[in-house]
Amino acid sequence: MIADIGFYVIAAVIVLGALWAVTAKNILHAAMALITSFFGTAILYLQLSAEFVAVAQVLVYIGGVVIFVIFTILLTTRLGDRADIAPGMRKLLAFALSATLLGTFLHALVRSGVLTSSKQYADPHFASIERIGYRFLDTGTDGMLVPFEIISLLLLISVVGAIVIARKEEK
Amino acid sequence: MTLGYCLGLAFVLFAIGAYGVMTRRHLVGMLISVEIMLNAANINFVSFSYFRPGDATAGPIFTAFVIAIAACEMAVALAIVISMYHRHKSLDIDSLEELHG
Repeated sequence: MIADIGFYVIAAVIVLGALWAVTAKNILHAAMALITSFFGTAILYLQLSAEFVAVAQVLVYIGGVVIFVIFTILLTTRLGDRADIAPGMRKLLAFALSATLLGTFLHALVRSGVLTSSKQYADPHFASIERIGYRFLDTGTDGMLVPFEIISLLLLISVVGAIVIARKEEK
Repeated sequence: MTLGYCLGLAFVLFAIGAYGVMTRRHLVGMLISVEIMLNAANINFVSFSYFRPGDATAGPIFTAFVIAIAACEMAVALAIVISMYHRHKSLDIDSLEELHG
């Protein structure tokens, strides 16, 4: 019961943060709202006993991506700039489209019977750091060694690419 | 807290992100909305692996991959944003018409 109330509170925080992030007039406020939403998601991961993902969420998203976004905003916009939101007609259309999307999703959810099915939980250590670490470096049939190495290569490539794209062009 | 409620939360977040992508006219604002959608997908992965454990450890691992790729995407996209700003002094997507056919 306590866990249920906790889930509702966290879900409300996540959804309100996301709503603020997409509707805020000032783009810097949107980035702040994104931090709220991501932090709530990290707490939700803790409730689902996925500690590693929660820590990665805080470190990479809040500590990395959002800070990077804020730096970019400060580099490219004057403070207090209004982030233009599309005119009313387009806003209405976007609202109708995303409401239709949500309706389709929820319809599929209700029809699938997931809402009423019995509970079945993974064992509490399913996402422990030890298990994830062994799985990452396992060379067996269900090991993740090759994707792990490919991701590290991709990170290197994207860092080099970002530097090449962002530097000033020489005449 | 059941699978259904977690999935419902993820769907609501995804719809909010889609709304943001469609209404924002600022490039960074669109990227923020895309991040919200990726976050919704991550919630989906983790809640499925918690409530329907077939191979439960694979869900968080896939989430870690998504987080890593989102970081890559953000790095390249923000580099493009900075380069666009150098060229046009504006990030309003309606004024960035270089790629119009």
